[in-house]
Amino acid sequence: MTSTFPVYIIAVVAALLFILIAALISNAIKFEGGANPKDPAKRKMWFWVLGILAPIANLLFGLFIYYFPEGNSYAKSKLITSIGIGSAITFVVYILVGFILSKMFKNGKLGNWF
Amino acid sequence: MSQDKLFVIGIGGTGMRCLEAFTHLCAIGMFDNQEIELLTLDTDQLNGNKTKTENLIERYNRIKTSDSGPKGGTPNANTFFSAKLNLHRFWTEYSGSARANYRSLSKLAEGTPEKQEANKLISNLFLDQNSVQEFNLAHGYRAQTHLGSHLMYHALIESARNLASGKSVQKQDQELEIFMNKLNDAGKLGARVFVFGSIFGGTGASSIPVIPKAFQDFIRIRSGGKSTLDFSKTKFGSTLLTEYFTFKKPDAKQMSTKDDSVVADSSFFPLNSQAALQFYQNDLTVQRTYKTMYHIGWPIESKKMGDETETNTITGGEKQKNPCHITEMLCACAAYDFLTKSTGFDVEKAEYLYKAIEFKDNSFNLSFNDFVGSENKAGEVFANRLGAFFSLAHIVLSINGAAFNTDPKSGMRAFITRLEKQKIPQYNSIPDADCEEINEYLRQFAYTTDGGQQFFPGWLYQVRSTVAPGSFMFDSNAFTTNIKELQKIDVGELFLDKKNHWPGGGLMSDRFSKFVETLIDVKHEDSQKVNTTKEQFMAHIYNAITKSQNFIN
Repeated sequence: MTSTFPVYIIAVVAALLFILIAALISNAIKFEGGANPKDPAKRKMWFWVLGILAPIANLLFGLFIYYFPEGNSYAKSKLITSIGIGSAITFVVYILVGFILSKMFKNGKLGNWF
Repeated sequence: MSQDKLFVIGIGGTGMRCLEAFTHLCAIGMFDNQEIELLTLDTDQLNGNKTKTENLIERYNRIKTSDSGPKGGTPNANTFFSAKLNLHRFWTEYSGSARANYRSLSKLAEGTPEKQEANKLISNLFLDQNSVQEFNLAHGYRAQTHLGSHLMYHALIESARNLASGKSVQKQDQELEIFMNKLNDAGKLGARVFVFGSIFGGTGASSIPVIPKAFQDFIRIRSGGKSTLDFSKTKFGSTLLTEYFTFKKPDAKQMSTKDDSVVADSSFFPLNSQAALQFYQNDLTVQRTYKTMYHIGWPIESKKMGDETETNTITGGEKQKNPCHITEMLCACAAYDFLTKSTGFDVEKAEYLYKAIEFKDNSFNLSFNDFVGSENKAGEVFANRLGAFFSLAHIVLSINGAAFNTDPKSGMRAFITRLEKQKIPQYNSIPDADCEEINEYLRQFAYTTDGGQQFFPGWLYQVRSTVAPGSFMFDSNAFTTNIKELQKIDVGELFLDKKNHWPGGGLMSDRFSKFVETLIDVKHEDSQKVNTTKEQFMAHIYNAITKSQNFIN
């Protein structure tokens, strides 16, 4: 029977990985001039797009790596619950870390997330 | 910088354009910690150049004024618009038939027959009876300096007498008195007065020789003999600006009327200049009253001014709005030298200064040092400040779009929007109208367009066009007039020297984005003496550009 512990670790790692991707994309978006610069909106959009993708990616990872290969139906039922909770953790951790980073670097590009 | 109180006077059309250039030097920040008294002096109250310059100075003052501070702001350091400018205006009153020409103004037809005859004889001895005594003075002295010097001195003395007696006091007399009171007070400790005007035209050429003496006599009359100007403490300097432009020659039809019996003919300007230089070289009053005179000229063919389609030669009035020329900028730089130098005042007679610049392959090549010298790193300071203001102009006008539209969110406001989006909200309280004042100043300084269709050069572009295709401090691409190129301009590459190019920012960034990062990082500093939100905002932008240009502040 597979332990559900790695599923939660992977959920946190996925959140951090997606935060890293969001930060890289945000930094790659140049500051624009003009009366209505679009760059803050682009950074915010990418943050939320990755925020949605992160739990989905975690869910798919859990399903393909742990759920489908598992033969035991009891373990399967436990895994699906854990993967679901893990995806929720991914989303919550992503938002939480994103919020903290945004406030830490509020004057920089990451500050546009919130 | 000098401890003396500073005074600058613009006289006549050319003097006004030199004063315009001087105002731009103040805007770029060349006169830190200074409160400068400006006087516009003209015979032609409606002169287009005069109106343009006065409007520019008034706009400068509105930019510096905040609700919480004094009118015209306060002197600052190491920032844009650092000097405080106080504008005073004096114009001679030649309206109405009793004052319209020399004959009526001098009351030649009044008094006993003997007195009339004596006045007529002495007038006819110096001034041509049918032309010089008859032409309308409202458009200036029309290159008749022998008449002009006499009348300008008379106008200033008349003003002093009116003020002393309290009779017939006009608004311009009151403005002049404020200026003269400040000069009198400052003169007891130390003052410097720089006079702008040409020596080849009318009003400026007439006034420069008599101004120090007229001011001295004004103060003596106004104080009832209790006070006077000491020329060892109140130091006068001026330019000897010889001819650099020509205009349409007047035809016989235009000169057939009494009002226009004398019209300045630019073909005589070289002759006027030559005669004037001889006068300035030999005249004892000039030698004793001035400390330094800067000889500035234009060694190649003079540029044609004015509209070829005009029927008549423009003698003055609101139509006289000539484009700006590099000699005027050099005059402003001469004023910078005079007002900031620490030596050269302990002289018995005026010192005449000049310098040469490179003329190669049929064009001039000008570096920053050619304008202000290299002493005390003046050239570097000038490069920093002019470069910063020029960069600001390109950002506001092209990148932030103020040259292409009138959207209140464009131009300077876009800086505030940007900082607000980066959670730096302290400038949000600056009204849109104040931002628009700065936008408009920058349009006059650099350029504008009519909705992105046609390009209109401002002061710096006009100045540069007089030496193009020669090099003019910055990269020639910095002066593009192509609207598509302007919209994509790289403001980090204005300088010829690569060490002053803004940092690139790597693969995933560009110079402008990197500049915004710098803008977010820097703040105004206490040493800049900026008090109001608007002053702090300007200092903040100045610091960001200076840091990007790699100048050590």
